[in-house]
Amino acid sequence: CTNGQVGCHVLSLDNLFDRVIQHSARMHGISSDLHSEFEQYFLPSKNQIGRVGRICHTSTIITPNGKENAQRMAREQLTEVILKLLIAWRDPLWHFHQSMAHHHDFNNFSSNKALEMNDMVHELRQGVEKVAEKMQVLGIISNSVTSLASPEVLLPSDSADWRLMKDYDLLYCFRRDSNKVQNYLKILKCRIVPNHGC
Amino acid sequence: FFTAHAKEKSYSPPEKPTQTRCRSPEKETFTCWWEPGSDGGLPTTYALYYRKENSETVYECPDYHTAGENSCFFNKNDTSIWVNYNISVVATNALGRAFSDPVDIDVVYIVEPNPPEKLTVAVMEDKGWPFLLVSWEPPHKADTRSGWITLIYELRVRLEEEEDDWEMHHAGQQKMFNIFSLRSGGEYLVEVRCKPDHGFWSEWSSTSYVKVPDYFHREKSMWIL
Repeated sequence: CTNGQVGCHVLSLDNLFDRVIQHSARMHGISSDLHSEFEQYFLPSKNQIGRVGRICHTSTIITPNGKENAQRMAREQLTEVILKLLIAWRDPLWHFHQSMAHHHDFNNFSSNKALEMNDMVHELRQGVEKVAEKMQVLGIISNSVTSLASPEVLLPSDSADWRLMKDYDLLYCFRRDSNKVQNYLKILKCRIVPNHGC
Repeated sequence: FFTAHAKEKSYSPPEKPTQTRCRSPEKETFTCWWEPGSDGGLPTTYALYYRKENSETVYECPDYHTAGENSCFFNKNDTSIWVNYNISVVATNALGRAFSDPVDIDVVYIVEPNPPEKLTVAVMEDKGWPFLLVSWEPPHKADTRSGWITLIYELRVRLEEEEDDWEMHHAGQQKMFNIFSLRSGGEYLVEVRCKPDHGFWSEWSSTSYVKVPDYFHREKSMWIL
């Protein structure tokens, strides 16, 4: 939406935040549904899935694991953590979808959900980038969010590790990361526009 | 003979404890409770051990007192979220010990808030028709203002005389709700509960009672006039 276009409605920052938060909630919802479906599928051999050291390929991204840690983080840093997580899931989710599509034990329904997650992570990243740009324009955050300039820089160093992960573990990790993203977005929103539904 | 028999029979290692459940009221602290098995007729102690995901270190419960008997409380410093805790309880007496089955929890998925607070119900009027204005506050422990936890609410309403005939209403994230179509002179009971986006419903709040005025008679008398 370029400036001066007729009927072009410029969204306020709280509005933009609400959109990305809603989107992240839907994305987490889908990953949870799919995760429960997987659990049912694997239930007879549940021993297989627990125990094994389930290290997520995103575990090298340092993320706050409590309220106070998240609140203490600078806005720029928290924004960057959100973007890092989203960028790190781009390739794995695409392959996850491919793998689901060829997995005969799963129905189209699950495979469609996998595709939907893949699309959503893209859209959400674009949305968060818009929010970040808006925050920069308004002077709320500095221009130091590197991911906006060159997203590839943010890929974790061992970013290809996900190739070694099983589908179930991948889904488990994505469910967790999408929940983190949703939570960090809410924290960020309430710090920046505290009077809008916080 | 009787005492000898009793002695022979009653001493044994403890039975394994069963872990009932873990709950976090606000996504910042949590508590786990267990159910002791038989103590084998001997003094038996219980200890809870946990190991956090991707760590080899085993820790013992930091606080057995705050949450009462057979429980372990994890305060803010001992609570991380998006990290799995592998927890088991050990019962020990002079003859041996028994481990509970371990449980795996991530605090994000065990949140059950306290019920909403300060529930008030007021009878309001709109063009001569009464309605109930119900409002409440989130449980004070849940920090909804920071965005750390988001709650949705559900109300239930019934007439005093119609037991078990609750009418449910979803309020979403709102902290107030209007109820219309009231019976003239009816006495109503209202309760509210809350749920975080990925957790469990709280218990119902305390009940608020309200009596709707006899508006029907008033209307009728107008007609007669």
